[in-house]
Amino acid sequence: MFRTKIIGLIVIFMFLLLIFGLANLQIFQYRDLRGLSDKNCIRLIPQIGARGKILDTEGDIIIDSKLSYNVMILPQDKKTVGGVLAKVARILGVSPDELKKRYNAEYVAPSVPIVIAKNIEVNKAIALEELKTSLAGIIIQLQPLRNYPYRSLGAHVIGYLGEIDRWRLTKLEDYGYMTKDIVGFGGVEEKYDYYLRQEEGGLSVEVDSRGRLVRVLGFRPPRNGKDMQLTLNLQIQKIAEEKLANRKGAVVIMEPYSGAIIAMASAPVFNPAVFVNKSGESISNIFNDRDAPLVNRAISAVYPAGSVFKPIVAAAALEAGKINLSTSFLCQGSTFVGRQEFKCWETHGWQNLTAAIAHSCNVFFYKAGLLVGAQSIHDYAIKFGLARPTAFELPYEAGGFIPSPLWRKINKFKNWFDGDTANLSIGQGDVSVTPLQMARMMAVFANGGYLVTPYIVKAIDGQDVSSYHRRVARCPVKTGTINYIREGMRGVVSDPKGTGNVLSSLTVSVAGKTGTAQAPPGQAHAWFTGFFPYKNPKFVICVFLERGGPGYYSSVIAKQIIEALIAEGLM
Amino acid sequence: MRGSKLIILIIALLITAIGIISIYSSNYQKEASLWQDIYKRQMIWAIIGLVAFMIMSNFNYRRLWDLTYFLYTFAVFLLLLVFLLGIVRLGAQRWLRLGWFSLQPSEFAKLIIVIFMARYFSRKDVSHISLLASKFGIFRGLVLPFIFVAVPIGLIIEQPDLGSGIIIFLLFLAVFFLTGVKLRYIFIFLAIIMSSLPFLWHFLRDYQKERLLVFLNPNVDPLGAGYTVIQAKIAIGSGGFFGKGWLSGTQSQLHFLPESHTDFIFSTFAEEWGLLGCAILLLLYYFMIREGLAIAQRTSDHFAKLLAYGISLMLAIQVFINIAMNLGLAPVVGLPLPLMSYGGSSVIVTFIALGILVNIDKHRTVF
Repeated sequence: MFRTKIIGLIVIFMFLLLIFGLANLQIFQYRDLRGLSDKNCIRLIPQIGARGKILDTEGDIIIDSKLSYNVMILPQDKKTVGGVLAKVARILGVSPDELKKRYNAEYVAPSVPIVIAKNIEVNKAIALEELKTSLAGIIIQLQPLRNYPYRSLGAHVIGYLGEIDRWRLTKLEDYGYMTKDIVGFGGVEEKYDYYLRQEEGGLSVEVDSRGRLVRVLGFRPPRNGKDMQLTLNLQIQKIAEEKLANRKGAVVIMEPYSGAIIAMASAPVFNPAVFVNKSGESISNIFNDRDAPLVNRAISAVYPAGSVFKPIVAAAALEAGKINLSTSFLCQGSTFVGRQEFKCWETHGWQNLTAAIAHSCNVFFYKAGLLVGAQSIHDYAIKFGLARPTAFELPYEAGGFIPSPLWRKINKFKNWFDGDTANLSIGQGDVSVTPLQMARMMAVFANGGYLVTPYIVKAIDGQDVSSYHRRVARCPVKTGTINYIREGMRGVVSDPKGTGNVLSSLTVSVAGKTGTAQAPPGQAHAWFTGFFPYKNPKFVICVFLERGGPGYYSSVIAKQIIEALIAEGLM
Repeated sequence: MRGSKLIILIIALLITAIGIISIYSSNYQKEASLWQDIYKRQMIWAIIGLVAFMIMSNFNYRRLWDLTYFLYTFAVFLLLLVFLLGIVRLGAQRWLRLGWFSLQPSEFAKLIIVIFMARYFSRKDVSHISLLASKFGIFRGLVLPFIFVAVPIGLIIEQPDLGSGIIIFLLFLAVFFLTGVKLRYIFIFLAIIMSSLPFLWHFLRDYQKERLLVFLNPNVDPLGAGYTVIQAKIAIGSGGFFGKGWLSGTQSQLHFLPESHTDFIFSTFAEEWGLLGCAILLLLYYFMIREGLAIAQRTSDHFAKLLAYGISLMLAIQVFINIAMNLGLAPVVGLPLPLMSYGGSSVIVTFIALGILVNIDKHRTVF
């Protein structure tokens, strides 16, 4: 049959093709290929790109890379290698045995050069480069390493670098990550590692029997990582960290209309450069520190809110129509809920809403809270973005918690009592929030009723991506309500008896709310969150001091920060 | 034993033996005893394969006719299972773990597709020699069988195992051609495939695209995908006419050559045995395939004819693509060399296929 004959011919043709291919390689190209194989002479020299830079909102460098020098040697005969290593050891000032040990330990294959010394000084690198002709097979490799010009500045936002761990590797294998890759841990370095990471390139070169380069066979250029521009302002970040100084706590400064993070500081800080140099002891010091310096307190830690929660109770009460501006309650220093006495921190007398916010009167809010009911307070807390992560970009953001009668019933099989409502009304009990959430809540009052989503990356590789992050939603509260509470917050600062009166001496009009969150045992947490200027807010600020005492101390830090902002002309 | 059975068995055993000594050589210098013992495992596969060959050569192939749809369903089931519980090796999910043995279902799928094609295009009535396919319209003659074959191909390429997928596709084309389907269907089909190639390109994995690009110019990526191609060429070429001698191939012994015991076993062999050895090996393969084609021509049963052609071509295409890829004449697609490459599934399937072939010849006289 015709078709079977064709198939038979095709099979014969295939075999002939193979024979010709074989003959071509094994006879005509024999000499060249035999030469290559004999001399064993193809070497692969990896070339490493630089990780993407991290810039601030003005385009100034926060973190970049600097070149370091590694010494590599091409594998060669046992006889010659000893002599070469001895010479190299003399220049580097180390013992030859150490280099030999490294050589034997790191050997992979005859084609892959071995790194025998990492991160050597520049003058030694130059010395080696000059002696290269007499040192067979020595290559000085340039490797960009992370450089931290401002040491620990913004360390929590940016994160640090380290060798990939098993958990991350299993997640990231599909994206081309491999063991021993250097990846980001925490902050922008982790979240945007895929963009920041460089791509390795390399040369394949032909060398002679003494390991000297004969010619370059192929080249794949390394690729640098993409630069990442943040919304952080370097100067403001510096001020925030300086003023926070040695205290434990966090500062968040945010743009009220867009949610762009202008500064985010957390203390205590750590030095990310430690992870680059891999000095084992200082790394374990960081991990074993009881103050947990690696935790970003602005987003990853939750604390009781205390009085900074009161604006939400006020909003709930106003919206529900339970109180209005002329409603006043008498504060006699305490009030009874059932048989239990709930204290205020002072005797305020008759208090209306604005005065109660200004003086942070507990009795007013106990009574207002009981009128509104716990479930409603809980619902309004959620409308102000509490009890769940803010959808901020950085990893490991905590959500916080707001209790409610329903939750109590379902999860604890317990009833909710009026006493619990009273506690909730002043932000105590099980209420827990992050400093970022508080700043975001304050932004609603600053911008006239919009709930923003905080974000920190402005541009990737020069391309503006902020529009992807910018999500502004109307907070379902009447404008009137917002304005009444704003007035009260202005009173916090302007009223001579206001809890944040220290800030009144500033040339800019500040509004805000202080908080002293009880968390026995130990000192209370100090909160201040506010916005300024009062008329057209440009900044929202949240200062939090962990176990820092009364809210007054946070107000003082906020004052220092705002003073510095004015002094440096950043307002 | 009949002539053809003896010839096929002897050639198969010779090639397997050549494979085992090459596997031994490729792992000769590796330290771990796990690697050094790998040739022993290949011997076990060969023995199991031999048993399978004996069983299949006495198993009436006509019963495969009745089993076809069961086998087909089973193959698709196994391929789906690979997705769910398969183990990942060398970046691909191709294997199913069965105790100490990892099964590679795509190997079995190749053979089952051949059986399926033969069944689809032939009639049960053995005395009826006329070609069924020439009476088929475009739907029953082209669309339906292609859908049946495309399902396993899709599953295999998605594993990803581009090599096996391509083999099955080429087999489909070849058997399709042999069934006597109207030539214009074949041209229509090829035209559709050609015009959809640019779209199919997007379904390939990044590394597969890279390999195809590297095939065009290995020097674009000398450290990555191009490395194997360059090293394989050097290994083969440096063998020359007489070769470097057993256990003295520097390319494979010094680990320049990746996958030197599986997909690139031919390079290992060529380096050590030279053109002379390669020519003998190619001749052995050629005789085996020619024997298969001869069996196909001798039989009068239409099902058996297509089956024998399919099996012979399956071997021929695999041998061709694998060696061409070693020579740098085809892109690196990850495909074993039948009977030579290390791997239980491939060895056993090849022996089973040869067993079926022998059995077809045995039953010829019955009719």
